[in-house]
Amino acid sequence: MPESQEDRKQILRIAEIIIGELKLEDITPETFDPDMDLVDELGVDSMDLATVALVLQDEYGVFIDEDDYPTLRTVRLIAQYLSSRPASGRRG
Amino acid sequence: MLKPEIGGRPEPAGGGAPKGEAGPEPRRWKFSELLSEPAVKARWEKVRQYFFLRESTYDMTNRCNLTCDGCYYYEGTKQFAQENGEPLAWRELMRREKERGITYVVLAGAEPSLVPELLEVCFAEMPLGCIATNGVRRIDPAVGYRIHISVWGNDRTSRQVRKAGELLHRQIDNYRDDPRAVFVYTFTRENITEAAEVMEALAQADCRVTFNVFSSPTGYSGALRHDAASLARTREVMREMTVRYPRHVLFSPYNAVAHTHAKGLHHLYGCSYPRMNASTAIGLGRSFRQFRTDLTWDREVACCVPDTDCADCRHYAAGSAVVTARLYRHVTDPLTFKSWLDYVDTYLAVWVMGYEKGENLCAEMVAPPEREGMGKP
Repeated sequence: MPESQEDRKQILRIAEIIIGELKLEDITPETFDPDMDLVDELGVDSMDLATVALVLQDEYGVFIDEDDYPTLRTVRLIAQYLSSRPASGRRG
Repeated sequence: MLKPEIGGRPEPAGGGAPKGEAGPEPRRWKFSELLSEPAVKARWEKVRQYFFLRESTYDMTNRCNLTCDGCYYYEGTKQFAQENGEPLAWRELMRREKERGITYVVLAGAEPSLVPELLEVCFAEMPLGCIATNGVRRIDPAVGYRIHISVWGNDRTSRQVRKAGELLHRQIDNYRDDPRAVFVYTFTRENITEAAEVMEALAQADCRVTFNVFSSPTGYSGALRHDAASLARTREVMREMTVRYPRHVLFSPYNAVAHTHAKGLHHLYGCSYPRMNASTAIGLGRSFRQFRTDLTWDREVACCVPDTDCADCRHYAAGSAVVTARLYRHVTDPLTFKSWLDYVDTYLAVWVMGYEKGENLCAEMVAPPEREGMGKP
């Protein structure tokens, strides 16, 4: 299925959050490969991923279950995960 | 008393589960709200710089110059591994470890000070780490790792449990004024009241100290094993020592809660070491290895204190990783989050050379967050 403009916007925003939180250099949301494996290719570990998840929870108003953290391996998978979750109001 | 608007469940005396009625639904805090207090934000930014640390542990030799009751090294099969004392092999191992992303090494078992040439090689390849030693022999100052010196009580107890006389004296002589040194006082069921006199001696010598809780090796049921009463007394003494010696004790109220709780670390937080964590997706389950002296490792038994009874594990090394990794469970309210920050600040000060502990942000004894509190079914 082709990527909608909304999907693309969300992917860019998630990439922007990851770049900001992990203080990544030489990369922009536009050049961030949404299918890059954050663990294997970017070297993200559990603490970094937890931090990103907490910021995403704030931004999107969804609760991200701790058991789901390991499945959030790419920006695209994160976007799909967030879209599949109703805003719970658990955080804010 | 806790103020209701800032949350945090007080930890009841004795370390059991907090009692009380369910009460109204607690306020849901955003992570950004928890970071809105400048001191909290500053501490968060300070500790998160060290999220890059990826540890593994290494048994350096099968030999020891002490014979201590309740030593976990001489339990299980690891003690029988063929010793590899070849510096070149260790250099290669350290290089391979770096390649797979390890950034921090814990050199232990049985007594690493007996193989100084291996310590030197490890330090040359891997600049961050810690050596767990009994402190009988001074480690060359050129090896710039943190050094943890194990203390199990006063002289009488050391003679009895470790068969070593004048041990504290010798440890202080070796490591007084050494910026690498952190003395680790292990509370057993039998040495709780001795902590005051040992702390006095260590503070007089201007030594820094942190606290450990004896965690029984598998199958151990001897006199050192804690019970509910000894854990409660240990907590009290930890608090008292932390208040009495703020310049010398590296600890926080939440450290005391986490390590003297009636439930062990695994029960409270879910241990993330491979031995108790089947997942290889991310974190310690993915990267942690515990190398034996023959440079082999076995995922099935890999943790920072192998052959410890997991149900009884309250070990300071285990907590440093296990509590820290549970960041997301501690973002429930300001006091709980501050407690977690204090814990991580303590862990970094204890383990990382050059890291200075700040003042504790939370003076309250806050109960560990329940997993269910985070929305688990």
